[in-house]
Parts: sequence; C-alpha cells; structure tokens
Amino acid sequence: MRYKQHESTVIEPDMTPMIDIVFQLIAFFMMVTSFEQTQADERVKLPSDQLARPPVVARDKVLVINIGFNRDKKGEKTDPDPYIFEGDTKIPILEYGKRLREEKRVAEALYGPGGHKDMIMEIRADSETPTGLIQDLIKLCQESGFEKFSLRAKQLIR
Amino acid sequence: MRIRKSRISATKIEAQMAPMIDVVFQLLIFFMLTLKIIPIEGDFNINMPIGQQATESPDVPMPPIKVRMIANEDGTLAEIQMNQRELGNDHLAFDRLNAEIGSLVGNRDNPFVKEIEVEIDADYNLHYRYSIAAVSACTGYVSPQTGQVIRYVEKVKFAPPRRPEE
Repeated sequence: MRYKQHESTVIEPDMTPMIDIVFQLIAFFMMVTSFEQTQADERVKLPSDQLARPPVVARDKVLVINIGFNRDKKGEKTDPDPYIFEGDTKIPILEYGKRLREEKRVAEALYGPGGHKDMIMEIRADSETPTGLIQDLIKLCQESGFEKFSLRAKQLIR
Repeated sequence: MRIRKSRISATKIEAQMAPMIDVVFQLLIFFMLTLKIIPIEGDFNINMPIGQQATESPDVPMPPIKVRMIANEDGTLAEIQMNQRELGNDHLAFDRLNAEIGSLVGNRDNPFVKEIEVEIDADYNLHYRYSIAAVSACTGYVSPQTGQVIRYVEKVKFAPPRRPEE
C-alpha cells in the first residue's frame, strides 16, 4: 500500500491586525494617562456644577485642603464630623490653624516676605460638609494671612 | 575575458515578531494599570481680603446683593432669599436666583457690573453643595446655544458664619 507523503506545514497566523489593534490601544492609554501629581483625595465627594470650569492657566502657588467624611465601603458616613485629610492624617477643621501658620512660614521661606498672600487656598470639600465649617476654615486662613480662595467642584456636563 | 557571474539568491528576511509583541504587551499592561480616571474638576474663585468679611465699609459704592440660605435640621435647603425676597427651596430655586441676579446685573454695558458684589449668608449646618449652587447661580450661566459661560458677578463672598446657639 502506498501512502501519499504530505509536506509538514507550520501555520503562521497573520500578526498584522493584532499588532495594529495593540498599537492603537497603547496610543489610547498613553493619551489618557496623566502622570501629573494631583493632591486630590478620593475620599472627598465633591459637589458638581455646570459652571465649574478648570482654570485656563495652571496655578503654581496652591495649597490644597481636602475636607471629607470617614465613609465605609458603601459610602455611608461612619463619623458625622468632617475632617481635613492630609494623607493618613485626619485633622478636625477647627484645629487647622496651627497647620496654616506652618504653611505661612514655609511660603514666606520659599517666596519671600508676604509671599503667602499670593497663595491660593484650594478648598476641596465634601458636598455634605456644613457650610459654616467652610466659613470657619476661610476665617482661619484669613487669620494666617491667606486671602485668595478657590472652591473646587466637579464639572457637570449636560 | 570571461566575466564570472556570481549567483546571488534573493532571500526573504523575516523579522522576529515575538520580542516586539512581548514589549508591546508589557507597555499595554503598564498603561492599563497606571490609568486613573479622574473626573474633570473646576473651581469658583472667591476673594476675601482680611478685614472685609465682617464689616460693611461705607466706602463701597454699592451694597452687596444679599443671598440668605436657610437650612433644615438635616442640612438640606429650607429657603433661599435674595434681598428679603423668597425664592423657594425646590430644584428651580437656584434658577430663580440666577434669573434675579441676571435682571439686577442688567445689560453688559452697565458700568457698575464689575462693582456688583454678592454676599452669601448661609445657615451653619447647610450642606456645602447648596452654597456651591448659590455661588454658581450668582456667577453666571451656561448659554444653551453656544455652551459658553456668560458671567454675571465676579465678586462673591461669604458673610460671617452663623454659629448655632449653644
């Protein structure tokens, strides 16, 4: 009996479409990835508003103050009092004056005497924070010599 | 003379795809893992120079427009008033406030437009989102036709905090 001899064939898949797609994906992720160091705290649930637009010119002298609540995984408040978050440290709002005085000293060392007056206090507060506490915080900032404030909100796109 | 012709055989060089694909996948995984989706944030500027929070200087040419916000016990909005006029507390209250501010600011040729100041006087326990909504309503509105922001009042400030009586 005679057998027909077949040539051994290695099937090489066409890689071109896959590489095309993968490059497209890399380009997309490169475009959307931002390595900018943000001081935003994810625990803060900002209010949203249509008019909240990002500043046209990036600010250089900014002190970001994150105010939020302790929340569980479901987002429920575990503590009724809001705190200022600085990494893992939680500072009650009315006790932030000492920290602000330190910031003033640092600003004066960096930018010269009176340099703290150009600093913008960027307040990122949770939408359920009592307004009175924000006003108290503004007052504490004023007592330390800071005069410019910016209230952060999420941009609401309709 | 006899010219010797060397026979050069045409060979097809196949590029090694495997290392490139390895690196490309590594890059893809790196970018996927480092991707952090952050919502776009904007801000409202408020200027509160020292010493002007609690006092009303007689040198100010125009008194500020007073926006009073009264809160319920749970921090939700009970009432908005503008210059003693009640504007309600429903979802259209801030639109009414915006319309009232718009009618006060008037046309853009008004030379006092830049002098107009709004003072927000909110109850201590009022949720911050209502204050932001009031600041936004006083600042301007987004034109539905062009999507551009039409500015009303540049100067917005807060009144001294109303601490709850103990």
